[in-house]
Amino acid sequence: MQLDKRERSLLGIASILLGFLFIILLKAQGVTGSQVVQETAVPSLIQTEQENQQLSDENAKIRLELVKYAQGQSASTLANQQLQEAKMNAGLVALTGSGLRITLDDSKREVIGEEDPNSYYIHEQYIREIFNALWNGGAEAVAVNGQRVTTHTEVFCGGSFIQINGTRQMPPYLIEAIGDSRNLSAALNFYGWFKLGDLQQQNGITRKLEILTKVMIPTGKLYNYRYAEPVKEGT
Amino acid sequence: MNRWKRSLALPVTMVAIALGFLISLQAQTQKNVSAAEQISSDRMAQMKSVLSNSKTQNIRLQTERRDLLEQLDAARKRMGTDPQLLAQLKQLQIMEGTQEVEGPGIQINIDDRKAPFPLSPDDLARMINTLKFADAEAISLNGQRIVGTTAIVLSGSSTILVNQVPINRTEGIPYELGTIGNQDTLLDYFSKLEALELKRHGVTVSITRKTVRIPSYKGVYTFKESESKDIP
Repeated sequence: MQLDKRERSLLGIASILLGFLFIILLKAQGVTGSQVVQETAVPSLIQTEQENQQLSDENAKIRLELVKYAQGQSASTLANQQLQEAKMNAGLVALTGSGLRITLDDSKREVIGEEDPNSYYIHEQYIREIFNALWNGGAEAVAVNGQRVTTHTEVFCGGSFIQINGTRQMPPYLIEAIGDSRNLSAALNFYGWFKLGDLQQQNGITRKLEILTKVMIPTGKLYNYRYAEPVKEGT
Repeated sequence: MNRWKRSLALPVTMVAIALGFLISLQAQTQKNVSAAEQISSDRMAQMKSVLSNSKTQNIRLQTERRDLLEQLDAARKRMGTDPQLLAQLKQLQIMEGTQEVEGPGIQINIDDRKAPFPLSPDDLARMINTLKFADAEAISLNGQRIVGTTAIVLSGSSTILVNQVPINRTEGIPYELGTIGNQDTLLDYFSKLEALELKRHGVTVSITRKTVRIPSYKGVYTFKESESKDIP
């Protein structure tokens, strides 16, 4: 196509303008995209803030201890106090208090037709989910079938039984927890309690919740560490 | 004007219309963008200053803690605290999680960014349970020590809280599990019971034997409803 000079210059100017505009547009797009960076700063901020809070709490505790030493309190009494506290936290002290009891049991009904027999049993996963919900609800101590739940407690499916703390447990599973019963039941309702309710209605498993004024939680077992070594502070 | 070719009239008009449209659009977005830019850079600056503040505070608190612990050690030595008692205390503190520990173990890096379904808190809880089954002595997930009272829950649509702290990462490996214990057992159990299944779901798992350091639990234990049966 033959174009004369004027036409050619007109087209040229138009395309230059167009290109220019596109570049500005692209740049504008880039700016709005950078907002993501800010979002990522929030979790790390929460984390540092939380750690700060905990650190200052801990420091206050150590200071208190130092003051006690300075006042000439007996060192062994002090160490014993700490020992008791650590025992309590680690789950090595039997406790009583108000809380709740959950009973879970396999269905007694016959499996009809092509139904999945798996939905007639209590699986280890349900027990774990309940533990998780209870801890989330601020439980102070949890036990199942007389086994205290500590940091080393596994809830592992071993076929016909569930292995908990290295022992074989069979249904019914009695889960007991000490804590504010309202908070505990709220947490349960939030995580999976209704799913178990459905299984109860449809397949006849047992799911029972009792709020008790006195729950007894047994003590856990002390663990002897063979691999883990305490890290010296400041290294 | 008659010199203009008829065939050019249409494209030139189109170009003119497009230009006019683009210019007006541009003027508007430019206005919006500069406002948004202003706000986001303000926010960014605020966020950064808050974050750096809390980070300096963190460092300060940590040095303070170190000093205090040194003083405590000195005080204990001076008062002649029974070393056996202290060893017992250390053991209990590992169990409650307030003691940072180090030892042989495995580190597991889990990447679910390319998987069709991201990992759920239940998946993470199951992996930790498997490690406990393999007799792990200490476990951490993205820097959070796993203790007896640890809950792993979903907050909102995608934030995972461990010990009430969000552990999500925006870059790098999404999940890092560190664990101390018998390396052979841990490796064997985890790869057979977890890694195979994870890989089948498109999750990348890499396990390395190494000396692992597990940070201390930073939360607090509270006992309000409980009473001890042992102590009168």
